[in-house]
Amino acid sequence: MDSENVRKDREFEERTKLLFERSVAALDGRTRSKLTQARYRALDELAKRARPAWSRSWLPAGAVAAVALLSLMLWQGQMDPLTDGGFDVAAVADLEILLGEEALDMIEELEFYAWLEEQVELTSGEIVEDGIG
Amino acid sequence: MAFAATLQAHMCLQREDETLESRAEMEAFLRDVESRAFRIAVVSTRDADEALDVVQDAMISLARRYADRSVEEWRPLFYRILKNRIRDWQRRRIVRGRVMSFFGGQEGEEYDPIAQAPGPSSENPTEALARSDAMDALEQALRDLPRRQREAFMLRNFEGLNVVETATAMGCSDGSVKTHYSRAVHRLRDMLGEHV
Repeated sequence: MDSENVRKDREFEERTKLLFERSVAALDGRTRSKLTQARYRALDELAKRARPAWSRSWLPAGAVAAVALLSLMLWQGQMDPLTDGGFDVAAVADLEILLGEEALDMIEELEFYAWLEEQVELTSGEIVEDGIG
Repeated sequence: MAFAATLQAHMCLQREDETLESRAEMEAFLRDVESRAFRIAVVSTRDADEALDVVQDAMISLARRYADRSVEEWRPLFYRILKNRIRDWQRRRIVRGRVMSFFGGQEGEEYDPIAQAPGPSSENPTEALARSDAMDALEQALRDLPRRQREAFMLRNFEGLNVVETATAMGCSDGSVKTHYSRAVHRLRDMLGEHV
């Protein structure tokens, strides 16, 4: 490509960029107001997204306390937890539900679920894209 | 015990500081991109209200899903979301159009002269008219481009993304971005000449 053509391309790019910036600067008040509202809605989502501080700080403590309680019960019972003698079986069943394998699996795979959600977001609208574009 | 409580309070305060900082960064980012994103969405949707909805969806999605990414990643991610939202909107419109045509109706586009009135500007009326005409011509020419060329041109030229960021936003390779952009510039120049 000759240098004259390159120069004309550059000038054209600069002109279109300037034209676009002027059209952005000329946006009316109603549109600007709507965009501001949209921005604050997005920021509200950001606030919702952040989990409450108390839940984040007390969740690990709660898990440790539950494990400690279970250990204490097993130690005090001095027996095989699979048998039903010596302590409240219902209480152990509750703890089993709380510390159930499925729940732990879910916690362990949170990153996977987050990744999966992200992929859906990033690939939304891509399915037909290659066929059209 | 007291030490643990103090530590807990300190950690809570630190988290609140981080949340406020993150909110301030996100707000600055959205404030920076929102007007240009809106104009880009208008080119594709030809409808200001639809463009506003699409931009709002993209902003909410970014805040909800990608706030924990680095600030440098936000711009290409935001435009990728915006691009996908526009595609989804176009598909919905096509389906809606088919349904309306099946029932013998057509989508009404009521013209509201007050809502469409331009906002206050420092330009004099002649300059504003010339700019408006030139922008209309540019928008029409952009709509006549193949979609990938249009996306590459708007992201590179209007939004100022570099090649790598544009590739991320478009979901293609750097080489494809260069090709689409170069073809877009030449076709637009052919279509518009000295009109802009």
